[in-house]
Amino acid sequence: MSAVPNLAVAAPLDPDQYRPDFPVLARRVHGKPLIYFDSANTAQKPAVVIDAVARYYREYNANVARAVHTLGEEATAAYEGARDRLARFINAPRDEVVFTSGTTNAINLVAYSFALPRLGPGDEILITAMEHHANIVPWQLVCERTGAKIKVAPINAAGELIVERFVELLTPSVKLAGVVHVSNVLGTVNPVRDLARACRARGIPLLVDGSQAAPHLPVDVQAIGCDFYAFTGHKLFGPTGTGVLWARREWLQAMPPFFGGGEMIKTVSFEKTTFADPPHKFEAGTPNIAGFIGLGAALDYIEVIGRERIAAYERELLAYATTTLKSVPGLRLFGEAREKAAVLSFLIDGIHAHDLATLLDHEGVAVRSGHHCAHPLMQFFGVPATARASLAFYNTRAEVDEFVAAIGRVRKLLQ
Amino acid sequence: MTAADLYTQAVLDHYRSPRNYGELPGFTHAADGHNPLCGDRLHVQVHASGGRVAAMRFRGEACAIATATTSMLSELALGRDSQQLAALAALFAQLVSGELEQAPSLMELNAMRELAYHPLRRKCALLAFATLSAALAGAGAASTERIVE
Repeated sequence: MSAVPNLAVAAPLDPDQYRPDFPVLARRVHGKPLIYFDSANTAQKPAVVIDAVARYYREYNANVARAVHTLGEEATAAYEGARDRLARFINAPRDEVVFTSGTTNAINLVAYSFALPRLGPGDEILITAMEHHANIVPWQLVCERTGAKIKVAPINAAGELIVERFVELLTPSVKLAGVVHVSNVLGTVNPVRDLARACRARGIPLLVDGSQAAPHLPVDVQAIGCDFYAFTGHKLFGPTGTGVLWARREWLQAMPPFFGGGEMIKTVSFEKTTFADPPHKFEAGTPNIAGFIGLGAALDYIEVIGRERIAAYERELLAYATTTLKSVPGLRLFGEAREKAAVLSFLIDGIHAHDLATLLDHEGVAVRSGHHCAHPLMQFFGVPATARASLAFYNTRAEVDEFVAAIGRVRKLLQ
Repeated sequence: MTAADLYTQAVLDHYRSPRNYGELPGFTHAADGHNPLCGDRLHVQVHASGGRVAAMRFRGEACAIATATTSMLSELALGRDSQQLAALAALFAQLVSGELEQAPSLMELNAMRELAYHPLRRKCALLAFATLSAALAGAGAASTERIVE
């Protein structure tokens, strides 16, 4: 039998094919070509996203789910169309996709509407040592009001969650668990399926913070088996102020609304209001219509490229960047998990992260410096701050080379 | 604007070889400066007599901007009292925010005028003055981080 070409195996991703789609990547900073290594902070937006937002405002700006005129119908179709795309993106039914302003807002919705009414003294919330403040602080606020306590599952020196410890900590007093899918500081990809299985076996609802996962890995909430999945649009090449809380239907039905107002009601009298069904029950007021239309365009854009292809390219780029960066004398890398996304947190002996970031900026390289909204993690590694390079599929090996050369010039200047 | 405008030879020299670095035996006043978001940490010790700074020493783990500013200040502060230092601190705040192009009385600290173009790094330079002022006021601790990043 002759070999049949396997059409499912797509050609490797060539970043130069896609870079022109991102207008900002053509910019120069301090006279140097921009090297944008801060996509974990916020990703750049392709022209199709910017255009989709502009087209809404130019051609069919109207409120959604209220107006019966043509513009209103067009706006509603585009906005709810984005919900269909987001539902497909995470393999969920559309009525389980609640629009929020971002991950923080989504986690707070779970904190106030799900956890607050259910928790009391003696109860516990289990999180991990690598959580972003967005998956710590809302639970602390819940604990202050309910008398519940937070427990923290530890990580190892490579920055990996110690899964056995996490499972051991899932005691009967734990009423909710929260885990980051991909760490914004370490890049660690947590085994969320295994963690979800352990939680389900004990009847403990699990929230997964998918902020850094959704842009880099295919996400299937059914396969993961968690109860809540939160992510943000602006790291996913979409506009700021967009995000999603996915939750199982039974939870959304049981949860009281978080905000009250228009859009989330069926009928209102001064005595009694009946609420809309989920997801609209949680979407009071005029939403970020333009933002979600833009996010829908972003999903179309990355699905054409292919999420597996993006993940494969980023894995290869991460391996290259890791090897290249490790050649810098005195460089300490934080986070060397076996399963890792394209995030490189590091320090160089004798150079403060902020000096490094300021001087790299003068070389055209944008990296983040600081504690990355993860104070407890910085304490674990015993450092006040790190510099972080976070890569996306529009970054290239040539940019990595230039970045490392720029680090060399900074070292020379400061040491 | 280039990197060399902020990280001038004077700044780099004070960063690599900070003046008055270390312990001050018999200090009369001391304070810790800490910017937790940045991670800058300073410890300032002062010998003040008759309200005037007779000697100042510092140590800490801080970025080049914070270290160089503190080093420069450790020389500028000599022989000045709290009131004079408060006046210099006010001038310095104006300088780094771009309201003043230069202030001769700040001497070498004029090197920090480029912070007018780096608003997020101003708090690094302001920490030295805040910590010295806290020491003289007996406050013990200082920070120049008010905004959450």
